[in-house]
Amino acid sequence: MPLLKISGLTQRFGGIQALSDFSFQLEEHEIVGLIGPNGAGKTTVFNIVSGFYKPTEGKVVFNGRRINGLKPHQITALGMARTFQNIRLWNNMTVLDNMRLARYAWLGYSFWSAIFRTQRYRRAEKNIENQAREALEMMELTDYAEELPKNLPYGLQRRVELARALASKPRLLLLDEPAAGLNSSDADDLIHFIRWIHDEFKLSIWMIEHQMKVVMSLCQHLTVIDFGCTIASGTPEEIRNNPDVIKAYLGDDTL
Amino acid sequence: MQRYAINILLCAAALILVGLAHAGKLDGYVLHVITLIGINCIFALSLNLVNGYMGEFSCGHAGFMCVGALTGALLSVALFTDSTLFGTAIFASHWAPFLFPLVLIGAMITAALAGLIVALPSFKTRDDYLAIITIAANLIIISIFNNIDAIGGPRGFLGQQQTINAMSNFIKLPWMLIWTLIGVFICVIVIRRLMTSTYGKGVSAVCQNEVAAEMMGVNTNRVKIMAFMVSSGLAGLAGVLYAHHIDYVNPKSFDLLKSTEGLVMVYLGGMGSITGVLMAAVAFTLLVESLRFIIPMLNNGLHSIGLLPESYHLDQKWAWVFIPLMLILLMRFRPEGFLGNRELTHVFPRLKRWITLK
Repeated sequence: MPLLKISGLTQRFGGIQALSDFSFQLEEHEIVGLIGPNGAGKTTVFNIVSGFYKPTEGKVVFNGRRINGLKPHQITALGMARTFQNIRLWNNMTVLDNMRLARYAWLGYSFWSAIFRTQRYRRAEKNIENQAREALEMMELTDYAEELPKNLPYGLQRRVELARALASKPRLLLLDEPAAGLNSSDADDLIHFIRWIHDEFKLSIWMIEHQMKVVMSLCQHLTVIDFGCTIASGTPEEIRNNPDVIKAYLGDDTL
Repeated sequence: MQRYAINILLCAAALILVGLAHAGKLDGYVLHVITLIGINCIFALSLNLVNGYMGEFSCGHAGFMCVGALTGALLSVALFTDSTLFGTAIFASHWAPFLFPLVLIGAMITAALAGLIVALPSFKTRDDYLAIITIAANLIIISIFNNIDAIGGPRGFLGQQQTINAMSNFIKLPWMLIWTLIGVFICVIVIRRLMTSTYGKGVSAVCQNEVAAEMMGVNTNRVKIMAFMVSSGLAGLAGVLYAHHIDYVNPKSFDLLKSTEGLVMVYLGGMGSITGVLMAAVAFTLLVESLRFIIPMLNNGLHSIGLLPESYHLDQKWAWVFIPLMLILLMRFRPEGFLGNRELTHVFPRLKRWITLK
């Protein structure tokens, strides 16, 4: 059974068809990519899968369960995490607190235990604290635990966001342009990093990325969309030589 | 031991205060102002949860104070007093000192439920719209009160004085001061514990980046409603204390002007700072009270140097020129308030050695 199965996904915003009849399948422990020119509808796909948009038509099945119609926080609780194209951290909270909140769906205590500081509360908080520190340690961010994310350099902020996504212990990780704004050597680091995450946590990764180097060296399978339509899918090698893809990226006239 | 120094100091200060009041060494007016400061602290702290920590804009918080005040007063009469409205008292009046917390809790629960009713439709929207809805809620609550004749309507409701008398008959103590101090303590503890727990940090997460909060598993809608209910419940606590302190609930005491006072205190102190808002509530209440003396002095002074025509006199209405003016100056020169969103212990890290707050 595939981990994620999308069939016939269509999204209209008023008169604009942002996505039409998108179908896709992702197996456990795969790294796959979603590419396409700007405005092709890639982030729309991610927004639907993570629950921010309700698709006009179509079906998303995650881990054997239909998830379109669920709220994003419910989808997170099922084991999906996501990073954003523009970094979205909680900037006035320490890095450690950012990690803590990633365990929110599995808190294990109620409002009243927080107010009365019950045994249950203390045990749960200790557990959360340990998991948060573990996430930081794995991503080599322990030194920055008490920093505010807004005071960190851009590359580190990206890493904090990734650490936060991992702290929720997902089975599927959606990465929206993880290499955006990184230079070539940072991007190389990122490639190693993602590969390491993939092996270490045995998770599946689906990424949107513009830097071909990153996509080509990581992904086992690629889907290309343009103007909301799927124009090609296959291995990186097949995609590289597909005339439709070249046309979409470079335009008609240049060929 | 050192870490409890400030805690012990505060407890001692409270005990001395109660002792002085009990011994009759405090002027009635001073006692009144001190109790009022406590009530304003609770009111401002409760508003701070929504406007400070959550970053929403509630403009009609006095409405929830009104709900608390009214239900508190009614409960108080129903429980401890024989009245035409409720018939004979449920408990004999000598139970009042022990069962008064029932009144407080009842008022808080009702105010929190009122908060829930307002929150359910209004958190479908944000920002300006929420502000408008809360203003409307404030007006609705007041006009409901105004139009129920059985509880006095615009004349207001009294009768809760009997409960205080019953408490004083049991042991002569400055009861309302004691309950207010306990109220402030509970309010600080609840907000502090909530906002240091991962559960409560969901509120800050919603404030700072709602999309990320939702994506990382925070049920944003539920968190917002929870925070709003806690906030309105605590405002209700301020209300019930006010109702018993003044001995009289009048819908007019909880109009938009009262809500504005709350806003001034929160923005003066710094959004999302408990110590800042406490400082602001003290400073603001003292300022408002001191205007009672400053305005006549100003009036006399201006008359004596001939700047005001003989026929015109500055009166207390001018307080509502000075107070909003303060808000304008504050927004212009120090929009983050006394402390911004930091606590006193962040500004003076050495304080941490002397205080323990859990």
